[in-house]
Amino acid sequence: MSENKIYFKFDGKTYGGNEGDTIAAALLRNNVRLVGRSFKYHRPRGIYTCGIEEPNALVQIINEYNEPNVRATVKKIYDGMVVKSQNRWPSLKRDLGSINNILSPIFSAGFYYKTFMGPKGFWKNVYEPLIRRTAGLGKPPKEFKSKSIHLHHNVDILIVGGGFSGLLAAKKLAGTNHNVLLIEREDSLGGILKNTKKIESINDQNPSDWIEKTERLIENSSNIKILKNTLVTTYNFSNHLIAVEDKSVGKPQSNENPELVLHKIRTKHTILANGHIERFVSFRNNDLPGVMLAASFEKYIHRYGVVPDENPIIFTNNSSTFGLIKSLIKLGHKPKAYVDARDQKKIEKETLELLTKYNIPIYAKSEIEGCDGKNEIQKVSIRVKKNEIIKIKTSMLCVSGGFNPDIHLFTQSKGLIKWDESLLTFKPDKPFQNTITLGSVSGNFSYQKTINEINKKFNFLEEVNDLELKLNINGPEKFEIKELWETNHAKKSLWSKSFIDLQNDVTTKDLKQAVLEGFNRIEHLKRFTTNSMGTDQGKISSINALGIVSKILKKSVSEVGTTIYRPPYAPLSFSAIAGRSTYEFYDPERKTPVHPWHIKHNAVFEDVGQWKRPWYFKKHNNESMEQAVQRESKQVRESAGILDGSTLGKIEIKGKDALAFVNLIYTNSFTKMKPMTARYALMLGEDGMVKDDGIVCKINDQHFITTTTTGGAANVLAHMEEYAQTEWPEMNVYMNSITEQFSTFNISGPKARTIMSRVFNNIDFSNEKFPFMTFNNFNYLNTKVRILRASFTGEPGYEIYVSPKHALTLWERIFYYSKDLDLVPYGTETMHLLRAEKGYIIVGQDTDGTVTPIDLNLNWMIGKKKKDFIGKRSLTRSDIIRSDRKQLVGLVPLNKAYGIEEGQHVIEEKNLNTPIKKPVKMLGHVTSSYFSPTLNHCVAMALIKGGNRKIGSQLYVSTSDLNVIPVEVVKPNFIDPKNERLTS
Amino acid sequence: MFTINCPYCGEREQCEFSNGGEAHVARPKDPDQVNDREWSEYVFVRANTKGIYYERWVHTHGCKKWFNAVRNTSTDEILKVYKLGETPPPVKKFKNTLKSPSGEPDVGSGNFTVKNHE
Repeated sequence: MSENKIYFKFDGKTYGGNEGDTIAAALLRNNVRLVGRSFKYHRPRGIYTCGIEEPNALVQIINEYNEPNVRATVKKIYDGMVVKSQNRWPSLKRDLGSINNILSPIFSAGFYYKTFMGPKGFWKNVYEPLIRRTAGLGKPPKEFKSKSIHLHHNVDILIVGGGFSGLLAAKKLAGTNHNVLLIEREDSLGGILKNTKKIESINDQNPSDWIEKTERLIENSSNIKILKNTLVTTYNFSNHLIAVEDKSVGKPQSNENPELVLHKIRTKHTILANGHIERFVSFRNNDLPGVMLAASFEKYIHRYGVVPDENPIIFTNNSSTFGLIKSLIKLGHKPKAYVDARDQKKIEKETLELLTKYNIPIYAKSEIEGCDGKNEIQKVSIRVKKNEIIKIKTSMLCVSGGFNPDIHLFTQSKGLIKWDESLLTFKPDKPFQNTITLGSVSGNFSYQKTINEINKKFNFLEEVNDLELKLNINGPEKFEIKELWETNHAKKSLWSKSFIDLQNDVTTKDLKQAVLEGFNRIEHLKRFTTNSMGTDQGKISSINALGIVSKILKKSVSEVGTTIYRPPYAPLSFSAIAGRSTYEFYDPERKTPVHPWHIKHNAVFEDVGQWKRPWYFKKHNNESMEQAVQRESKQVRESAGILDGSTLGKIEIKGKDALAFVNLIYTNSFTKMKPMTARYALMLGEDGMVKDDGIVCKINDQHFITTTTTGGAANVLAHMEEYAQTEWPEMNVYMNSITEQFSTFNISGPKARTIMSRVFNNIDFSNEKFPFMTFNNFNYLNTKVRILRASFTGEPGYEIYVSPKHALTLWERIFYYSKDLDLVPYGTETMHLLRAEKGYIIVGQDTDGTVTPIDLNLNWMIGKKKKDFIGKRSLTRSDIIRSDRKQLVGLVPLNKAYGIEEGQHVIEEKNLNTPIKKPVKMLGHVTSSYFSPTLNHCVAMALIKGGNRKIGSQLYVSTSDLNVIPVEVVKPNFIDPKNERLTS
Repeated sequence: MFTINCPYCGEREQCEFSNGGEAHVARPKDPDQVNDREWSEYVFVRANTKGIYYERWVHTHGCKKWFNAVRNTSTDEILKVYKLGETPPPVKKFKNTLKSPSGEPDVGSGNFTVKNHE
């Protein structure tokens, strides 16, 4: 074993490869041809290409968290890599799923749609699980903490592709004042120059020397940055491109550094020099391992130093295979035969001379009928005349069906393409953005012309270098091709297949059948047959499909049109898209200053927006939520409770016109309100619907502090800003969020006043001195507190606002002073229960954006004398003043033992037949429901049609077990309806 | 994703901004004086133009300022931004830039990657 060998495992067996080898190159080096099983028929599949376009050789990387569907033709090996083939069981050579191939005549296009129709429920429970087990590609990856990051670039010019034309473009811009980014998807620059020997010399230099020199020139010019191993996947509007850089090429993923970097690029001009992709020809069994694209074969020789086969048969319809033949001969090998669909007269002189010189049999005007073999190619059938087929033994067949400019990115940018009759492919026509295509992607298959092309296309730039180029080209310079998409089968058989999409197992027969069934629009045909819908997006075959369909429909290819190319160009890992926005960074958690105390006291938390709020406190480990909430609620009504309300939104409003502004924002009237008093206030949208509620504290006419719901804080501030800026810009008013500047505690219950008097022993909390809905600022220790007398429970209550720095100390002091007063900490669930007993609404639970203050019977909060406020005019719209709108009522079950479920329907019917045959008239639904420990029965609120008129009547509420329970409609105020406790 | 040139901060990514719908929809000066129909039109009805559209934006994750923009809704090109209170540029000023990707029709969407040019 030599030292520079790299060892990796494929399906349990260890293989050696060279540094820089892809998995595919290393496997071919070891003569491994069979690498996977196909998606639907489980047919044996091999390595078809040498790059990103690979449809077949998809593998699973076990040691990289089980990463599935990795292209063996792209992924580079490293020591200790563990690779597994996909979609086979129990082994690659003996795969039980291959029975699908025998059954294949029934699996034609649309098979799933037509077959698995009924009975009901079978799709979900029987068919889908079964199909999912046998079909599909790799197994899902394991969870891992990705370290991917995002990087942003702002450049003048982006060059996509560092091949021959990309390098020339960079050279043209080197040292100028344009800020340029050059992106190359391979680990080195050079592209086609490294894949072939078609260019013998550039300016009298060896191409590899020229690449090296050019790269040095670019690196030394400070205006161009090169990114290698980076694939541009997306070309968006406004010249915004996305590229993903693989940071762990040829080495295991590191635990410290990002494995992928997502580059987000903004550019003024995009130069696409991303080349072309070779396409195949469909013939019988064109999917057998051993069939490979000719240019890919050549790439393996020159880029990786691997000769996949010493005596392949070459099959082509164009002039491109000269280089491959010459390369093989130069290495001392010899193609077994040369099959060309073109007439002998059309075949290039150079090619014919070379073949004749080395005695290679030429079959002109011939085509491959098909090939045969078990698990790999053994025999090839050549149709030399219409009815004459000869068979030749071989272990490899190289196919070239022509070249497609890689227009994927160009069409993503919304550029228009057109069909080129001489190249038989689509090429860019009119760009939609500032996009330039260079080289083969623009349909220019001539190296000699590239220099003129660049000089011409760059003339809009003022400062560019002059370029001169002297090329020595090997072989025919002109590209010549004959139309050929598929060849005919010698015998008609249900089992003989010519594939059009190798990854999705779509045959040319499927295309014909789809057209017969009426799917003659290419977009429909694609979806019905799933052609080009695999992870390779039909890179080597989608144009062939258009060719075949155009023949069936007897239309030209440009009339048939193409399907839309959508981003990404190649599969993009979710971890790259997510970047650092994962786990704790996905959504920030907001915690109140008292959070550590809550944790210490067994709080169970609830997420409210980004806030972590105590939901309830567990007294002991076995206490359930219901038990805890009943206990907490009872204790608040009997002694006192404290709630951490720090999450409530708080907004400060200041300015000469603050009073006028607050009058316009809220429904209530604040004009006559005395300074240092507070008011429960409603905020409406312009449509008259309740948007938010809160308490407005008036310090004076120029200074207000308002609270908002926890979840609504940001929206309420934005709403105020919008009106201040857009509708009433003449007003002198400023607002600011002070949510995090104050921590808020709500203490309520019969003993609340005693507790407050003990903690703040210099303040008089008597009802006369400190009446309901007043507030004041006080010195407390070495800070200040603002205390507001308000309540959301119906009990006498106080809200304390304190600087967060002192919050935890104050919270602990409150408990210290209440040791003998039975003070209970309570969470949001108890808060909800207590407010429901009192009939207080929660915006967003008892309202849903279709509820007005009138519907809530909160007419008393509407400042009717005010000339205007947001939403006022809507409250007199004909639809809003209907008396049969849904209105908020209370519900109490007639049988006090029953509970009412939230979200259930309120109906008039006594019984519900099961199954329900006739529509049931729905009056509305239950918005809140709790079991009141104080009243010892369930109390609920509901929005029901014409609810106000139904007070006192009996209705029914559905239950989740399809029953109904009788309820009495009452006013939604179950405890202390006269507010005697509240104001005492 | 496009960029927007905030008249106060300069060019920033679109994700920093929020769209506020059609611009220059005036709130009636005296809401009590308009009838139900006129009021509903102010509250609910907005144009949905393909092409040149005057709309409001706010730099939510920036200066929080509202401003107006003229956008070609079929290409997402922002043709002009201007502060509140400034006179909107006349529509005819933008006539020549009203192009749509892939040569779609003036109304509705289209799917024309390949277009036969006469």
